[in-house]
Amino acid sequence: MGKCKKILIGSAAAAAGFVGVTFTVYFFNLDMKLTAAMEPLMLKWYDHLEKDTFI
Amino acid sequence: MTKKIGADNLGRFYTEGKVRNRREWRGFKDTAYDYTRWLGIMFTLGKFIVKPRNIKGMFRYRWMSNYLAVPMMVDRHTQGLRDEYLRMCHVEQDLIIQDVAKLLDNLFRGDKRLGNDEEFSKKVVLVDENEMTAVMMGFPTLKCLSRETPSTYVPVLLNQHSMEYYIDKIEEFGMAPDVCPMPAAEAGVSVDGDAPIVGACAIQCNTTCDGSLLSNGIIGKRLEAEGIPTFQLAAPLRHREEDVQEYAAQEIRNAIAFIEEHTGEKWDWKTYFECARRVNYATKCRQEWLDMNRTDYPQVFGSNLALYTETNYMAICGKIEAFEKADRKLTKLAEQAFEAKRMAVPEYRHRAIVWGVQSHFYFDFLLWLLNCWGIVPLTDMLSMVSTKMIAEEDTPQNREQAYYDMAWLTENMIMRNRTHGGYKVLLDELWEFVDQFNADMVILWEHTSCKALDGMHGLFEDRAREKGVHLVWVCHDLFDPRVVSRQGVRDQINSYMRTVFNEEPLDPTLEVLPDGNSW
Amino acid sequence: MKDLKHLLYFENLLLDANNELITKAKKDGNICVAYTCENVPEPLLNLGGCFSVRLRAPRSGSMEMSTYYMTSLLCEYSRALLERALEGGFNFADCVITPDGCTMMNRCIENMDLLNTMNQGKDKFFYEYMEIPMKADDNGLNLYVLQCKNHILEPLAKNYGVDISDTALRQAVAEHNRMCELIRAIGEFRKEENPRITGYEFHILTLATYVCPAYLIIDKLEATLKELQTRKPDKENNWRARVVLVGSEVDDMDYVKLIEECGAYVCADRFCLGSYPGREPIEMNDDEDALTQICRHYMNYGQCPRYMNTDKIKERKRYVKKLAEEYNADGIIYEQIKFCDPWAYEKMMGGVSMEGYGYPVLTVDRPYAISSGAGQMRTRVQAFVESIEIKKIQRGDK
Repeated sequence: MGKCKKILIGSAAAAAGFVGVTFTVYFFNLDMKLTAAMEPLMLKWYDHLEKDTFI
Repeated sequence: MTKKIGADNLGRFYTEGKVRNRREWRGFKDTAYDYTRWLGIMFTLGKFIVKPRNIKGMFRYRWMSNYLAVPMMVDRHTQGLRDEYLRMCHVEQDLIIQDVAKLLDNLFRGDKRLGNDEEFSKKVVLVDENEMTAVMMGFPTLKCLSRETPSTYVPVLLNQHSMEYYIDKIEEFGMAPDVCPMPAAEAGVSVDGDAPIVGACAIQCNTTCDGSLLSNGIIGKRLEAEGIPTFQLAAPLRHREEDVQEYAAQEIRNAIAFIEEHTGEKWDWKTYFECARRVNYATKCRQEWLDMNRTDYPQVFGSNLALYTETNYMAICGKIEAFEKADRKLTKLAEQAFEAKRMAVPEYRHRAIVWGVQSHFYFDFLLWLLNCWGIVPLTDMLSMVSTKMIAEEDTPQNREQAYYDMAWLTENMIMRNRTHGGYKVLLDELWEFVDQFNADMVILWEHTSCKALDGMHGLFEDRAREKGVHLVWVCHDLFDPRVVSRQGVRDQINSYMRTVFNEEPLDPTLEVLPDGNSW
Repeated sequence: MKDLKHLLYFENLLLDANNELITKAKKDGNICVAYTCENVPEPLLNLGGCFSVRLRAPRSGSMEMSTYYMTSLLCEYSRALLERALEGGFNFADCVITPDGCTMMNRCIENMDLLNTMNQGKDKFFYEYMEIPMKADDNGLNLYVLQCKNHILEPLAKNYGVDISDTALRQAVAEHNRMCELIRAIGEFRKEENPRITGYEFHILTLATYVCPAYLIIDKLEATLKELQTRKPDKENNWRARVVLVGSEVDDMDYVKLIEECGAYVCADRFCLGSYPGREPIEMNDDEDALTQICRHYMNYGQCPRYMNTDKIKERKRYVKKLAEEYNADGIIYEQIKFCDPWAYEKMMGGVSMEGYGYPVLTVDRPYAISSGAGQMRTRVQAFVESIEIKKIQRGDK
């Protein structure tokens, strides 16, 4: 019973933690803020790619 | 920070940078819904990116960087939405995201540079981005993929600046800068070697305009160099004329024969008629939504109507069952909202038909019209596609009729059904829709490189004056916000609303937005 | 060189859209069939009792009205035509037949139609819009034949009682071929190292064949050919380079003149209203009906960039290359009227292909009336000629 309760509490805490973290990311748009910071680095990478450009 | 519609000043979320400062609070229920949908999108993206070849693709193709902005695209299209409107938007957008993720995954799987799955590639038929895919309705074992959709079309919806690099690229080769930037960008992707190399064969089509037709030549040359045989499907321009239909049907027969020859697959009538049934169901649903939009309580309108129709009508064309489910769900939500006499903003001030070719870098303009000025975009030119029911029962006569139906759909692909076909479909029918939808204004996109629309400019004005309907021109350059910016687009509406209607905005914070650098 | 006897006469004819020969032909009781595109088979417009006139708007000035109707973003040719139509400058026409070729020309004619230009007071007047094939194949040919029947022959027969029998068609082709052969024969002199005809003179003669009733100029063309057979070129060949001019609509007399003033001899003309491919005689046999043969000729010889099948796309480049070889050209000028979509693409692709074949290429966009952009054009052509000369020096050519 105690073990079961522990698992339940643990799961609930993990779920709450997951929701807490992801909701914070969601609400404060942190996902987009991170990817916006990544974009210039990616563009720099593409600029150095060798490509087969022709018509 | 409330559930009440229109309570938020939506302009507050904008920053000078690429992204918003935070997401909206829509009340507990709607925020929780939006949050779970966001989680779902993250899951879709995560599932896509865990595959090594897709990571490779991310670093190989420049246009892939735009997919960093996927959640923001959804945020743009859900601004201010609550209840059924929010749910409708997510039903559509989430499905479209899943569909595009699948498309990318398949392209990279067969791509010689990435997955290089040769057996898979032999089952791939490439099609244009703007092409009606009716000719693929009877090939259940083949994959109908478009390279232009994920490389050109979708990126502009994600990031307004995404195609500038490719437009510049083709202009470096001497392309005149006054052609439509959409086919020019597609050609730019092709000459820059940024299109996945995949497919047993390709079907090109003279889609919406001269530029589109001509850019196929450039792409076709590249396909040839990559060893991919190409069939050019010539759909008649004067598509309402009886004396072109046999030609059109024969083109379909020839295209099918070409696909069979190059893939070794046989046309399957059972699958075709199953797809035809779904096409008819989508048409029925769309008509139902449009009927609602003729009333005082329109439900599926703006980008909820436009973006979904573009995908479902043309790219899907009955081939994917999930879209039938989505049609059903959307209709149910719309009926529910209609019965509740739901409105998307507190006040509907004007009923507008949006005509012409929409700006892709500013597709959420339709929602902006609603949120900022209370203008309801009842329908738009690209959503006013064929409403003809096609043969869906497998009989010998219908098998023959099917070629004409596929031809009809191909001739009447989105945009093309209005930009080609003579002035009646572009000019005369607009005013019929104005009457049918009881609209008091027409928002007329003037895409500066779209000759088909520009060529009717004066006659649009003349007719609007005759009918006493407000006509507001909105200039843009489709794929290139450097020519006309988003604020440039908004300013054209703002000045009309203030000077002609003498009105104040519903949400004044949306009138001028610092989104020049935004995705 | 001594002036060609009839050159001034032809030049004067080209000063106005409504030239004196049109007036004369109409007085003779003929029907004037106006058209705007090379994809309309010309012999079908020149059946007994009809004559064709390709619409153009020489000496165009302000285009305010047409710019209101079609914005400043459409090509000036389409706007100039609409402006002229609104001014009443094409009122001589008894009908207009147009293919839904390029979007801009289609819109131009639709505006003419909706604004009731040309048709006032003419109860038999009609506008006809044709669908023309975009691929050269059997299906395309069937479409072409049907469209010509439905949108050219039947309306002409119904409205004006024109004889559209196979015999009448063959007669029209024979007359068309006679004119084409004359132009071809005159054009042959351009192959000479020190040519006895300038590109400008040839352009004038060719242009006249598109805009005047053929039966009224044929004698003067014959006389000109005869005159050329004995004409002596200047002793010294002053041309600095030989170029093929390729591109869209060129009906401005001053355009070729400007190029030649810069020292570039226009040795071959592959443009709308040029002799290639428009003055290619139509080969006929007795086994097949005339209409099918005419349509096949236009479809197979057509060099319009709207033909979208791969074979045609490639053929267009080969065609220009062949002309360059045949006429011993040093370089190629690809031109387009600004805002022309088909030629914007063709110019770019053609330019790249020709450079691949080793030809220096100049690609330019231009206004409809070259006078409004003459300075820029002159500078570009001069620079091009100089670059060709430098290349020749580097190669050690004489």
